[in-house]
Amino acid sequence: MSSPFAINGGACVAMVGKDCVAIACDLRLGLQALTVSNNFPKIFSYGDVYLGLTGLATDVSTVSDLFRYKVNMYRLREERNIAPSTMANLVSSSLYERRFGPYFVSPVVAGIDQKSGKPFICGFDSIGCIDFAKDFIVSGTASDQLFGTCEGLWEPDLGPEDLFETISQALLNAVDRDALSGWGAHVYIIEKDKTTKRLLKGRQD
Amino acid sequence: MDTLVASYGRPMFEKEHVEEDQLELYQPGPSLSLKFAMPPVAQPSAWLRAATDDHANPNCPIKIAHGTTTLAFRFQGGIIVATDSRATAGNWIASQTVKKVIEINSCLLGTMAGGAADCQYWLAYLGMQCRLHELRHKRRISVAAASKILANLVYSYKGMGLSMGTMCAGVTPSEGPALYYIDSDGTRLAGNMFCVGSGQTFAYGVLDAEYKYDLSVDEALALGSRSILAATHRDAYSGGFINLYHVKEEGWVKHGFNDTNPIFWKTKLEKGEFSNVTSELV
Amino acid sequence: MTMFSQNPLMNGPNYSFSQTPTMASGANKEHSFYPYTDNGGSTLAISGNDFMIMAGDTRSTSGYNINTRYSPKVFKIGGTTSSQDDATLVLSVVGFAADGHALKEKLDAIVKMYRYQHGKPMSVKACAQRLSTILYGKRFFPYYVTAILGGLDEDGKGAVYSYDPVGSYEREQCRAAGAAASLIMPFLDNQVNFKNQYIPGSGEGHALVERAKDPLPLVVVEALVKDAFDSAVERHIEVGDGLSMMLITKNGIEEKFLPLKKD
Repeated sequence: MSSPFAINGGACVAMVGKDCVAIACDLRLGLQALTVSNNFPKIFSYGDVYLGLTGLATDVSTVSDLFRYKVNMYRLREERNIAPSTMANLVSSSLYERRFGPYFVSPVVAGIDQKSGKPFICGFDSIGCIDFAKDFIVSGTASDQLFGTCEGLWEPDLGPEDLFETISQALLNAVDRDALSGWGAHVYIIEKDKTTKRLLKGRQD
Repeated sequence: MDTLVASYGRPMFEKEHVEEDQLELYQPGPSLSLKFAMPPVAQPSAWLRAATDDHANPNCPIKIAHGTTTLAFRFQGGIIVATDSRATAGNWIASQTVKKVIEINSCLLGTMAGGAADCQYWLAYLGMQCRLHELRHKRRISVAAASKILANLVYSYKGMGLSMGTMCAGVTPSEGPALYYIDSDGTRLAGNMFCVGSGQTFAYGVLDAEYKYDLSVDEALALGSRSILAATHRDAYSGGFINLYHVKEEGWVKHGFNDTNPIFWKTKLEKGEFSNVTSELV
Repeated sequence: MTMFSQNPLMNGPNYSFSQTPTMASGANKEHSFYPYTDNGGSTLAISGNDFMIMAGDTRSTSGYNINTRYSPKVFKIGGTTSSQDDATLVLSVVGFAADGHALKEKLDAIVKMYRYQHGKPMSVKACAQRLSTILYGKRFFPYYVTAILGGLDEDGKGAVYSYDPVGSYEREQCRAAGAAASLIMPFLDNQVNFKNQYIPGSGEGHALVERAKDPLPLVVVEALVKDAFDSAVERHIEVGDGLSMMLITKNGIEEKFLPLKKD
């Protein structure tokens, strides 16, 4: 039996730029070799924060819904949006609650802190260990490939347009070397008071 | 006496012990031989499987390239042979530019599915045998005979871990257009239409729906290409380029090695097919 | 066991290989005959119009240990003498270093014999086919190596032939092999073959024109090789220490050595 992380396939990447962050995912949902859907986005928005989830598709849906509930409850109690760093700790503690029966997901959080205006990205393993990064975070079945492309293409202090080009090239070229992800992509460019969502045309094989 | 002469009647230098390895160096050219090194264990095939079969053992150290869609069908104008070009090792796409149609000679084609090295080596070996047949019998070998050489050959290695699913397509004066399927289990089948590989079901789906023996050449080429396109779209282990061949009485003709990506979008946008693929944000 | 391969605490560090092959189901026994070690490392070859570059890092590992920081994986093949000064071909081998070394020695001997018997150096094309049959000769007891052969073809163009462990081969524009192949290869697709690049302003949406695949000049390729390895070193523990490069042009083979990070 193959790893539950690699049954459905999928890839996600987040990057830091100058006063902006970007997060992108592919659109495939498969059952091993069979491509079932080519419109299964893995990025979910929670106010100012974006959460990318790769791994087992059923857990991607469950976990995204769980955080929608948790973030809504937070908003009702606090009467404000959740900050990215708070979200990171929420994700971490929620995943660790399932320490001995984990969700098979590798989450990525991206957003801009509305108070300080600072970009924030981080990644997690399936039981909630946070990986704070200053440059980029990758996850999914194409993570090796993404490490290569991101490490080769990323540079500090990219503006929104350059960051979009960089993250798009990093993702598209990475998923083109992974059998289990691809079939198009979504990219979010997040600035302090503006978020742009784009659909990328990717190879359909 | 004869044995004495045989053993002592040779020049001195020949008696020197020559290692088999060294002997290979003196041979005039590289030869496709049937001599293979074996691991020093009681069950070589079980050992090999543990070391190379990523299906039985996902952690195996040596990953051999797999995954494919290939097809060939007979029709009134000859035979169409079409393949994708992707090689995968696990989920890793090792190559997008593999030539899965092997030109055995000017009238015979072989296709490649399963172990890439097995197919390349044994189809090259088959090419050699076909040429020898030509020289010995002063006429070209029939497709039936060629495919049987290959089938008997792989049958003799049955259980040793060879992995190949291949089709032999050719046109000869005696047989007309002939198509055979041979696999490493030793199966050899004659037929009108075969699809082989991880994407075979997807290719059959398109091919069965549109296939007629009376197809024109252009229609047949388009159908072969469209069947591979469907398979590359749905099968994760197929993709890359579409390799198209037409086998005629005069020999085979190549009809391009084209990237699936522009072909896919052309098919979608101009014919309205693949409506499952999104082009708008939701 | 692979079920938890991305769960660090249940499986220990998620690492790409274990020394003994564990079977997919727990029912099977471990093998007593296991002649292979993965010595890590990565190699890379790019061909140009009138040159080709072969490069490989010089770290040799087994498991988490570093055996040595200098054990080259790129070799000249088929010179007239052991110094290989007049060689025209290069071979890189990555995987199990002992098998790689045996393979290199065997190919070198064969190419030398060819030169001796035919009075001319072997062409890359011929050598490529020969290497394939050597590898396939051990189909049932494979060399645990990924080989890349490089040289200049009959027209003086750079030629790269890449192999799998049992001898299937293909001529390519560029190829990365070994531990960090999955990191380097997509970067090369993008930067050498211009995959996913379109000409800005050439159209809107589907009308955009793909960037043509122009051959790159030597200086650019050399810089790409360095960048690729710097990236790989950063994210893969089996790659690092030094980079040995061979530049093949019509003037012969130029050897270069560059330091890489040693951490």
